[in-house]
Amino acid sequence: MSALRLISNRTSQQALSNSDYTWDYEYYEYGPVSFEGLKAHKYSIVIGFWVGLAVFVIFMFFVLTLLTKTGAPHQDNAEPSEKRFRMNTSVADFGRPLESGRDFSHQMAEESQSLFHFCINEVDHMNKAKDSQKGPGLESNIQFQEVPRSRG
Amino acid sequence: ENISDFSLNITDCTQVVVPEEVFFTVAAAGILENLLILIAVARNKNLHLPMYFFICSLAISDMLGSLYKTLENIFIILCEMGYLTRHGDFEKKLDDAMDSMFILSLLGSIFSLLAIAADRYITIFYALRYHNIMTLRRALVILAIIWTFCAGSSIAIALFSYEAATVIPFTILFPLMMFFILCLYVHMFLLARSHAKKIASLPTSTVHHRTNMKGAITLTIFLGVFLCCWAPFVLHILLARFCPHNPYCACYMSIFHVNGTLIMCNAIINPMIFAFRSPELRSTFKKMFYCSR
Repeated sequence: MSALRLISNRTSQQALSNSDYTWDYEYYEYGPVSFEGLKAHKYSIVIGFWVGLAVFVIFMFFVLTLLTKTGAPHQDNAEPSEKRFRMNTSVADFGRPLESGRDFSHQMAEESQSLFHFCINEVDHMNKAKDSQKGPGLESNIQFQEVPRSRG
Repeated sequence: ENISDFSLNITDCTQVVVPEEVFFTVAAAGILENLLILIAVARNKNLHLPMYFFICSLAISDMLGSLYKTLENIFIILCEMGYLTRHGDFEKKLDDAMDSMFILSLLGSIFSLLAIAADRYITIFYALRYHNIMTLRRALVILAIIWTFCAGSSIAIALFSYEAATVIPFTILFPLMMFFILCLYVHMFLLARSHAKKIASLPTSTVHHRTNMKGAITLTIFLGVFLCCWAPFVLHILLARFCPHNPYCACYMSIFHVNGTLIMCNAIINPMIFAFRSPELRSTFKKMFYCSR
């Protein structure tokens, strides 16, 4: 890659400041760049880039927190449930890999139940919206009975 | 730092030099950390799951990136000390190989992150059929395809790097993948949030608003880290191709070593935000260290 080789050149040039270019293959001349008559600060691209990046990340964060605070697009009727749901596993740890193994089967069970619960709601809504497929409806009924999945 | 910032008419932007010690420390830390993850996943049978294989793939690509930087520095030091000639064919081929290693690392990183996001997406949205959709064999096949594609592209890009036709797809791939990953995670996040709202409406549960914030923070960290570590380098490639003689571009390109160090920092941070969040992996580490004492 010409850019990398170029920089290898400059690197080695930096290291041996008195010697000539050390890599002897084709590259385009960096050449002396004239810095006369610059209107803006010479590091303006660097500063602009990092400021833009920071703004973008902060903007993304605020959009996500705003999504947290506003209401859901459609209010679903919450079904009363006898089982306890663990908040932590469903929301905050969605970024964490779901665990397997004997020690975590309990966590998996509750997590599975909460996921099933939601999937069933979604599937039911799809049913009502489309009013066409009976498969998913049947599926949801059957899966509701299903024991939480075990990972092997 | 050798930045001269008096008036605008004086010398050019000199290269910002990162001290060798910092460079090697960061690189070594990255390599060790990712190696530990590979060893831990290999030793614990419980971790032979598709999601951990994708995390291993990310660890391998991070390791390659750090390795590239280390080898390049060692190479230059060897040239300084005179053990290697500077005009040889062998050196040129070696340099080509190292360049393609670096691009392989970048592509491998991007595709591994994509695979991890897709795996989590399937886990959440197709939870009931996850085991049928993502079997171990399929995960290995997917990884083989990803790495073959990355290896082929990296060799092609390294050989034909002079053409704009390779630079442009390379730089378009990066934001495209990032955008796709962002969409996947946002969709998952919305699901988790509406799920939380449902739970909040249950009479028996107590909901902490902070847990929703935690999800937003997690997602921002995922994507913000990747963006901040790789985007500077990608911009460098673009500027080097299209405006190498422009003074502003030249000043940006003078911080190349800092950009390289950022990429190695990404190799250190990635395990923390992906691998170490898994309690199973953490307990494997503890066992490894306590048993070795």
